[in-house]
Amino acid sequence: MGTLSDTTLAALNLLLSGNAELWEIIAISFRVSGVAILIASPPALLVAFLLTYKRFPGRRLLISINSTFLSIPAVVIGLTFFILLSRQGPLGEWRLLFTQTAMVLGQIALAFPILVAMGHSALQAADRRAWETARTLGANLMRAVFTIMREARFGLMAAFLAAFGRIIAEVGASMMLGGNILHYTRNIPTAIALESSKGEFAQGIALGLVLLTLAFTLNALLQHIQGKGQPVS
Amino acid sequence: MSNPLILTLSALNKRFGKRQVLQEIELVLRPGECNLLSGGNGAGKTTLLRILSGLEKPDSSRIDMGNGFQSWRRSRADLQKNVLYLHQQPYMFDGSVRYNLGYALPGGLPKQLRNNMIDSAIDWAELNHLHDTPAKSLSGGERQRVSLARAWLRNPQILLMDEPTANLDQEARRRTLDLLRSFKKEGISLLLASHDPIHFSSLIDRHLHLYDSHLVEIEDQKLMQIPQLQSHVSLRSTA
Repeated sequence: MGTLSDTTLAALNLLLSGNAELWEIIAISFRVSGVAILIASPPALLVAFLLTYKRFPGRRLLISINSTFLSIPAVVIGLTFFILLSRQGPLGEWRLLFTQTAMVLGQIALAFPILVAMGHSALQAADRRAWETARTLGANLMRAVFTIMREARFGLMAAFLAAFGRIIAEVGASMMLGGNILHYTRNIPTAIALESSKGEFAQGIALGLVLLTLAFTLNALLQHIQGKGQPVS
Repeated sequence: MSNPLILTLSALNKRFGKRQVLQEIELVLRPGECNLLSGGNGAGKTTLLRILSGLEKPDSSRIDMGNGFQSWRRSRADLQKNVLYLHQQPYMFDGSVRYNLGYALPGGLPKQLRNNMIDSAIDWAELNHLHDTPAKSLSGGERQRVSLARAWLRNPQILLMDEPTANLDQEARRRTLDLLRSFKKEGISLLLASHDPIHFSSLIDRHLHLYDSHLVEIEDQKLMQIPQLQSHVSLRSTA
């Protein structure tokens, strides 16, 4: 193992030289997490909307349960889906274990409570008169829902980015459900875990840099979006 | 000859917890008629307007909008279609004044027609210098005019307004009253909730007052100027 600076330089070299294996891992990460967030977002936003605008028995309990799921470790999600999808499990016949689909399922389960909780906060912060104005101006239910989503878009975008940042960096569920198979289910976090365990720090740091760059980009985007959402003085 | 009825409300009751806010309310709204609704803080003015616009569910009521008396739940679609409620502080959607005006138009209109209608509303409410301004940056009086222009485009049968002139300066109040007058001329029924009846003396046909959860009609228009006498004998129940 060289010095940290040597390793970092080697990592940058790997990234900039267009190392095919490395970029394939990055592509798998983005594909799996992108699909997961796209599938999770519509139902999660709908649940967030119902929790905000509908009063029904058990609403508070649902909010508490969702908040509890926020703190479940990714590895526990991975273990639960592993049991469900394993040969002996109730969904074993689907033969999804160690596939990208299984990783997507795990990441959906991780992203969903984040999207609901942050979406709920964003919608609660939106002015209630927006809904009433939309309805009284003749908007049907669907148009009124989209109007509220538009009014709360900055908060909802923050939820989207936070959830994406969480799932693309998680290792527990991806490792258990994907199996870290090269060219198929190896993504950034599982590759970092593997390479580090082998003493191949350059690739681990290169992938870490990608995650760090992603985190910075998401945060910068978030700041930009939240800045745009400031009320006009 | 009296105007045909647009809406008849009967036996309306609303309670929040143990507090009876509205009790056995009877109300008739006619085309081109302006009703002023007064009452103290918490008297139930806003609640009554929200029920009439389909936004708030009453405990019980019967409503006739030309199809015979029905429950509020069954009338709700008609209320939402024909009644427009304007908040005390009108909400502006994120976007320009043009965007906000366009929101009141039904989808599927040809673009040219849509633009012409928005332009007409801009002229009607004297918003020409503001049409591309972000609506959220407007002053109270300008927001009020945009909300009235949205109502004009929506063309409801009944317009409900909550404190339409509150916090407006004299010029903004005059412009608002002018726009309300033109609604009245077009045959739209107005119900205005206000603490300051005196501002509407030239506009109103009937003065209704919410007192002790009941709706009463003040027959003597002079009492508009003396709110403290509104529990006087010249109050007549609308029930």
